[in-house]
Amino acid sequence: MERLAIHHANGMEMVAVKDSAISENGTERTLYPYVTGTSVIGMKYKDGVILAADMGGSYGSTLRYKSVERIKHIGKHSLLGASGEISDFQEILRYLDELILYDNMWDDGNSLGPKEVHNYLTRVMYNRRNKFNPLWNSLVLGGVKNGQKYLGMVGMIGTHFEDNHVATGFGNHLARPILRAEWREDLSFEEAVKLLEKCLLVLLYRDRSAINKFQIAKITDEGVTISQPYALKTYWGFSAFQNPSKGAEGSW
Amino acid sequence: MDIDLSAPHSMGTTIIGVTYNGGVVLGADSRTSTGMYVANRASDKITQLTDNVYICRSGSAADSQVISDYVRYFLHQHTIQLGQPATVKVAANLVRLLSYQNKNMLQMGVIVGGWDKYEGGKIYSVPLGGTILKQPFAIGGSGSTYLYGFFDQAWKEGMSKDEAEKLVVKAVSLAIARDGASGGVVRTVTINADGVTKNFYTGDSLPLWHEELEPHNSLLDILLASSSPEPMST
Repeated sequence: MERLAIHHANGMEMVAVKDSAISENGTERTLYPYVTGTSVIGMKYKDGVILAADMGGSYGSTLRYKSVERIKHIGKHSLLGASGEISDFQEILRYLDELILYDNMWDDGNSLGPKEVHNYLTRVMYNRRNKFNPLWNSLVLGGVKNGQKYLGMVGMIGTHFEDNHVATGFGNHLARPILRAEWREDLSFEEAVKLLEKCLLVLLYRDRSAINKFQIAKITDEGVTISQPYALKTYWGFSAFQNPSKGAEGSW
Repeated sequence: MDIDLSAPHSMGTTIIGVTYNGGVVLGADSRTSTGMYVANRASDKITQLTDNVYICRSGSAADSQVISDYVRYFLHQHTIQLGQPATVKVAANLVRLLSYQNKNMLQMGVIVGGWDKYEGGKIYSVPLGGTILKQPFAIGGSGSTYLYGFFDQAWKEGMSKDEAEKLVVKAVSLAIARDGASGGVVRTVTINADGVTKNFYTGDSLPLWHEELEPHNSLLDILLASSSPEPMST
């Protein structure tokens, strides 16, 4: 951290502290994200894997962009959802584009499955972390290959794991408890959507950076489908909401 | 005094890009400030990249100028090699490339807009960090904070050229009214199949907003007008 000495007109010295993105040895590191996406939630269900995210790109506290697609398909077998810095997510998509292209160029009948893509992403994220220049994202990778369902997560420091249901950001705190209680191996598509929407609604109520515009994506052995953007109805009809100070004057 | 580094930097400008039925209209204010001083009150923030693609610059004047110069240079070579005009998408992606790869050193948010024969009029936003987003309209700079609500209400798909230009001028003028870092004149650049038209709107041609008054040459004119006309004397 650099310290800048500022001399006041009356002779007093003030010191300002400045965090430099370029350290003494000339290398760079990312300090903080600018345009960010909030939670992504995902889970396995009977026919495959299902992911959901809203379409918001926040700029600090401003809900600046409202049509950001944060779930994209990767090759034939995988879906990638991202929260965090959108420019880094766009760069990751370019890396994966190249990866899939080279995979296709082999023309050997094989194609990278979700497990391989997840591993590739883990290596990329961890190596960037070691250079103190992370890609500022939490990624959810879901897919199906030859009937095998796969769902994993990678964070910006390279932490990675697989599970039956995952969530990033606020979703970790708000969605996962719901999923832990209500997830089952044999959920139908309709039940899975309802369960995800239950989580999305809680996130909409309680996450300041969530917006009411969602996309749900599913992947099965047949292929990938990403839904059109849609909004959910919210409920405000609790009687207690009508007059919060009724019971105790001045309460909220 | 500790500077809050985690809040996004607001940038001294208002820039707008709007698509309409047939092309795009780009708009900006004309104030360049160094701290509290207005260094240039008639700057041109809408810079040419190619014959058919322009860029609205906000943030550090130096950073946005030098990036524009590099991108203009690359696009020039690209046009020669391609044998036809560059597309707006390519221009925007070159800006993104430089912004993203130098994200730690640059402080600029831009709007790239233009017309090409494949996609027609298109607008791309490249904010801090190097994200690229194609949008039907885009706003940027410190003055844009005052325009989110305005555009939420006033934006319509499929406007005519005149409607789009009027919207842009109104919006920049509203932002100038409230943002200290924006001011001067409203410049617009309209790009479509027929080419490029540049316009320039000075304060007197813009509507007056809340608590703004009709400008006069002198108080004396007002006093003269209100009292009964005095007989001329030699």
